[in-house]
Amino acid sequence: MKKSMVKRIMAIALVVVLCIGVTACGGSKPVEDTSTETSGEVVWWGWTPGSPTNEEYIAEFNKEYPDIKVTWKQTSIDDYDATIRPALANNEGVDAFEVSAGSGNGGIQVFAGQALDLTDAVKEALGDGYKDKLNEASLTTMTVDGKLKALGVGTVYSGNIWINQDLFDKYNVKVPTTYQEWKDACKTFKENGIDGFVQGAGQGAFNIDTFHAIADNVSPGTFTKAATGEGEWTDPAIVKALELWKGLFDDGIMQDGALGLQQYPDANNLFMSQKAAMVMMGSWYTSNTLPNTMKAAIEAASSTAEPFTMLPVDFPDIAGTGNVGSFFGDLDYSTAISATSANVKAATTFAVWLGTSQKGQQMIADSLNVVPSLLSATPDWDVVELVNPEKQNEAIKEYVENASSSPNNPRFASINADLNQSMMDVLAGVAGGTITPEDGSAQLAQTQADSE
Amino acid sequence: MSTQNVRKSKFAKVSGLPWVLPAFVFVVGLIYYSIFYTFNLSTLDWNGLDPVQTKVGFSNFTKLFGDWVFWKAIKNTIVFFVVTFVIQNVLGYIFAAILHTEVKLATLHKCIVFIPVILAPATMAPVFRLLFSPQGLLQDIFNWLHIGITVDWLSKPGSALFILMIITIWNFTGMSFILYYAAMSQIDKEMLEAAHLDGAGNFRTLLSIVFPNCMGTTISLAMLGVIGALKTFDIPYLVTTGGPNHATEFLGTYIYRQGIRQAHLGYAAAISVILLVLAIGGAILMNRLNRVEGK
Repeated sequence: MKKSMVKRIMAIALVVVLCIGVTACGGSKPVEDTSTETSGEVVWWGWTPGSPTNEEYIAEFNKEYPDIKVTWKQTSIDDYDATIRPALANNEGVDAFEVSAGSGNGGIQVFAGQALDLTDAVKEALGDGYKDKLNEASLTTMTVDGKLKALGVGTVYSGNIWINQDLFDKYNVKVPTTYQEWKDACKTFKENGIDGFVQGAGQGAFNIDTFHAIADNVSPGTFTKAATGEGEWTDPAIVKALELWKGLFDDGIMQDGALGLQQYPDANNLFMSQKAAMVMMGSWYTSNTLPNTMKAAIEAASSTAEPFTMLPVDFPDIAGTGNVGSFFGDLDYSTAISATSANVKAATTFAVWLGTSQKGQQMIADSLNVVPSLLSATPDWDVVELVNPEKQNEAIKEYVENASSSPNNPRFASINADLNQSMMDVLAGVAGGTITPEDGSAQLAQTQADSE
Repeated sequence: MSTQNVRKSKFAKVSGLPWVLPAFVFVVGLIYYSIFYTFNLSTLDWNGLDPVQTKVGFSNFTKLFGDWVFWKAIKNTIVFFVVTFVIQNVLGYIFAAILHTEVKLATLHKCIVFIPVILAPATMAPVFRLLFSPQGLLQDIFNWLHIGITVDWLSKPGSALFILMIITIWNFTGMSFILYYAAMSQIDKEMLEAAHLDGAGNFRTLLSIVFPNCMGTTISLAMLGVIGALKTFDIPYLVTTGGPNHATEFLGTYIYRQGIRQAHLGYAAAISVILLVLAIGGAILMNRLNRVEGK
């Protein structure tokens, strides 16, 4: 064989070997757990509640477990799935990670395959009767194929709207309880150069909340039955709810250009900078009644306004049925443990502490960000100080109690990703007039049928 | 033969392969591997993490052709390319021609035209979202002038795409300008003087002498434009997230929506394969045009 031929063959062989080497970089190998229950290094991925709150949780955890180093790695809510997916797939750098119910970001249905079963860990922490000690939704929504894939930290509820009471007082506007009152209130605010109700309808998930609230007002439970397949999306109550949804845009309740704005940051900033008097947000917004949290939110909205009195009120009875006060909720976030983590024991200690310990859950309760999973942890109202205690204390206390005691009415847990997308399309289409309410309900029914 | 010449001769005989080997390995190992991997993914029904991958053959592709959002994305891409390409290049050409005359503060003008190119869309997106909203500066100006127009264009399916085109034109006209400016610098001045002597005015010279001499640049910009339009993601994603109701959906945003949001990785891969085919087809077409022009 000629020398040049040998060289060529060797070169080709080298290329093949190197190519295989390059492309095999992402290959997986069994990982050995190098941690113990009391020591290790845990990388915790998530999107909420965000720095510095997560670091405060870690600092409290470290008082009990000083030898477990936890590092919080935050992504934005929109980028979470795109970021965590390759990180989990590469078996590196993720020990604990946040997941949520249903079709939200970090949906447990998608990520359960990468999460360990935590049933034994929670049994060890709370005993065999653990189910009686935790919020029911925190267990049911995180159970996949009979395995508890994550430990719930807290639940969020939606269904109400938040109002700026100071603006209502200033312009002498009655808090709306009917469709007509809502229209009148928005008109008065608009005449004073303020948006009445603001919604970032370009960010579809929040439209689903508003639509769910309308549907529960028209006929309680119909939305959830349709989402779980027990009812039909073509139910007249759903069509009626879609008509009312469109009415919000046509009758001047939604601010002009709502479909072009995002709930975060746009609608949130308008409300926080006192340029809008009402917004559709859920229980996660309660933390803004704390002076420091509100100050930070106002600054983030590039406003210099002083903290104001915000209150939760029932979604107005726009269908005239008298069905008000509906809450729907899911776990806001839960902590899952990566099946390929090299720090499983330490990460499990952290997840169990955050989701089941009295100390960890009390911190969650007092932050007013979510309703804690542990039933015995409730906000310590002697410690929690609100912006306007006189007007807010009783209202917020009642709101948190009502939300946490509301019957099982899932927010996103029963909506799969396809239905979620379809609902966002239908709501935007109906609002913009390109889809009729009847066609919209048929489209939802079709998506439901296809995804089954 | 000197010693030096012998060394040179031996050196010249050594195969060039070792020199290109590192780059070759990375190109074949990463880019081409990724392409074949994507094609393989397009034949699966898989969420990207689940241990179970279901083989579905070409059904992702057949489903694609009946998907109205996919066709909407294709239509948007074509409209987007045609409008942005024409306006961007006409403006870029005019700016370049003007700045080849004796303009005062020419360097400052060049900077002003080019600066938008270097601004990150992620930085500008929130600004544009508010600018083109009823709560923004534009609305304030209209109100101040008592012009009864509501700036809710991003919320209307009929106008949202045009707003994205305006943003893109603002963003990338500087690129067309700089390339035309460079191309015009290469034109032989004697040719222009001859045209003037033959009685051609400025407009005729720009149209009949300068423009044909910049044809190579125009074709290069067209090629970049086709590929850029097919890859469009950041501006629509950040400003409208593809809405309202998919009115500003592009192939890039739809791939992201399907692959990440809805966890249909196979379907997203099928769209990516189509995107690749369209990009290669567009590049070949433009290359052909370039060759014809060369001849």
